[in-house]
Amino acid sequence: MKLKLGKREVAAMVSILVCSLMVTGCRTKSKRYNLRGQVLEKNVSANEITVKHDDIPDFMSAMTMPYKVKDAGKVQELEPGDIIAAQVVTSKDGNDYWLEDVRITDRSGRKAARAVVPSHRLQVGEHVPNLPLVNQDGATFHLDDFKGKSVLVTFVYTRCPMPTFCPRLSSQFAAIHDNLVKTPDDCRRTHLLTISFDPKYDTPPVLRRYGLAYLNNDPSGFSHWDFASTTPGDLRKLADAFGLEYFEEDNQIAHTMNIALIAPDGTVARYWANEWTAAELEAALRQEAAKVGTAGRKDVR
Amino acid sequence: MIRRFRCAYFVPGLVVCLVTLMGCSRTSSRLSSAELNGQDLFDLHCALCHEGMNPDLRKQPPRLEGLFQSKTLPSGAPATDDQVRKTVIEGLGTMPAFDQRLHRDDVDHLVKYLHTLK
Repeated sequence: MKLKLGKREVAAMVSILVCSLMVTGCRTKSKRYNLRGQVLEKNVSANEITVKHDDIPDFMSAMTMPYKVKDAGKVQELEPGDIIAAQVVTSKDGNDYWLEDVRITDRSGRKAARAVVPSHRLQVGEHVPNLPLVNQDGATFHLDDFKGKSVLVTFVYTRCPMPTFCPRLSSQFAAIHDNLVKTPDDCRRTHLLTISFDPKYDTPPVLRRYGLAYLNNDPSGFSHWDFASTTPGDLRKLADAFGLEYFEEDNQIAHTMNIALIAPDGTVARYWANEWTAAELEAALRQEAAKVGTAGRKDVR
Repeated sequence: MIRRFRCAYFVPGLVVCLVTLMGCSRTSSRLSSAELNGQDLFDLHCALCHEGMNPDLRKQPPRLEGLFQSKTLPSGAPATDDQVRKTVIEGLGTMPAFDQRLHRDDVDHLVKYLHTLK
């Protein structure tokens, strides 16, 4: 049995489909759908599992996506490789969904799942690739240019219409930026970096316009927060390095949500996927920056 | 007798159906086919932001009921079809552009549907 781990958030985009289904009808009833599938990954702290599931009639076609689990303690009991039956429950307002009544129907896949090679995403402590990027002003820079600072990196595309995906990421980064500029010492020792995975559309002028919308139209904010793109080839390398998954589908880009904290020495310090708050990210960013005092870096512009 | 029996069930049944339909957030019985397509597009692309609660967003997008009943859009621009088309295609502020994602006809249908939101 061949399993693909590390695909946890690949299917996060599938929530585009889910949300679409939710809003098209009369949004007054919670609904339940039967699910059968295989657990690929579990996250006990987030109470979440990633399931590769069969068709769910009237809900969605077969695919792999993460689900919250309502049943207390169930995630702990589940293991990658387990075949499960469960019910997908949608909230009354159609904005949320989760699993209930999760039952393991076959445990024989656990051994094969344990034998799967982990994804090639950079591990914490590994150096990030020093690839060239072009920012909102058309200036080229490299990730190594940020050495001496702690850097929070995420990936978006400016045309993302899902409020809980890219707009949320950029809004949260904006909140972090707003707070950091109030403390100049920490501001100097930190940087925010938003990388587009839609380089064909997200040219420097588009990224500049997008960035300004999140910077209260103050271009001076770009000295602390870059919006960048790169070539498709280098984007793929960056995506692999940071565990980002993305692909085009129905004129939209399906993608995972990935945030990485790069330490001042240029190594990965920490990752976040679906669960985070702006306060948590900001605290981690400040904490990492505080480890090296006031070391400088080359200017990217 | 049979006719009276059927009537006795038909009328309350009809009332229940109507009440149920009225319970939906929007009714679509009087919309043209273009407006219905616009409604589908609205539900798919717009409602999540403009009708949902997204406390994590930098700015809460405005609701769009009565969009064309005012002289100006929430942005302050004139409330015209062309201006709304431009906003949909190019985006505005934190609103994403729908450039290359919606066909011209779809944008027109969306605008037609927005006219029906009172």
